[in-house]
Amino acid sequence: MDKHCEEALDRLFEYIDGELPDADVKELAEHLKKCPPCETEHRIAERIKQMVSRCPRETAPERLRERIFAIVAEARGSE
Amino acid sequence: MCLTLTRIRETDDAEVGAGPLGSGAMNETPTAAEEFESEALSYMNHLYAAAMRLTRNPADAEDLVQETYAKAFAARDRFEMGTNLKAWLYRIQTNAFINTYRKRQREPRRSDADAVEDWQLARAASHDSGGLASAEERALDAIGDMDIRDALAQLPDEFRLAVYLSDVEGFAYKEIAEIMESPVGTVMSRLHRGRKMLRELLREYARDMGVPGAVEEGSHG
Repeated sequence: MDKHCEEALDRLFEYIDGELPDADVKELAEHLKKCPPCETEHRIAERIKQMVSRCPRETAPERLRERIFAIVAEARGSE
Repeated sequence: MCLTLTRIRETDDAEVGAGPLGSGAMNETPTAAEEFESEALSYMNHLYAAAMRLTRNPADAEDLVQETYAKAFAARDRFEMGTNLKAWLYRIQTNAFINTYRKRQREPRRSDADAVEDWQLARAASHDSGGLASAEERALDAIGDMDIRDALAQLPDEFRLAVYLSDVEGFAYKEIAEIMESPVGTVMSRLHRGRKMLRELLREYARDMGVPGAVEEGSHG
């Protein structure tokens, strides 16, 4: 693992999170193209991020909605 | 305000999710209070799902979301319309969780200062063992939604929340920093370490399931 790889891996999460400035995105993308081990790390990180994002979310149960609508009604009354 | 409780009930019964109460019921421009109410309620499912990740049980999650809305409506005059209401609500919820529920849950807390360098070493090892990493990639196919949820639940609160806010809610680092009332650098460190732990846990799950490729973890370093 050379210096370029170290730099690339340091910024991998910023890259997949869309937090890198455009110039750095380009540079990192170039490195990933040339470096299969870094590209594998990139794919794994991206894949896990997607798995987390796609995880089904619970819906607020009816009794919670009722409790919150009561708060809203009270707030309206106090206006 | 001329919306009535009857209208609330109708909306409630209609199972229209957490949509705006009474929106479209009248041909009037909504007031700031109505806009606040409508937008705030539209995040109810989001806040509940996040509360489930934070508290890890439905009863506490419901209490937490209720407290969040109670605080938000009590402080609504301090919210500036047009700014990020979703992030503002998450911030209230995060604070409420830290101040109330975490104390109640008495979870043994792991310090942020622990093992900062470990992940860098592990990362270098993983990078240099190319074949293992691609086997790990294939092993991820065996991981299901419940495994992800379970693995997330095992992360320390700050790591879990940072990962959740970034990956599930798509908040920017700056927004997460505001929600967690921490510097951006701290958020990045929590994300790094949270994701590294998550990856290790998933690798363990795959290994426990006997998935080939997940078995040799740790043999290169």
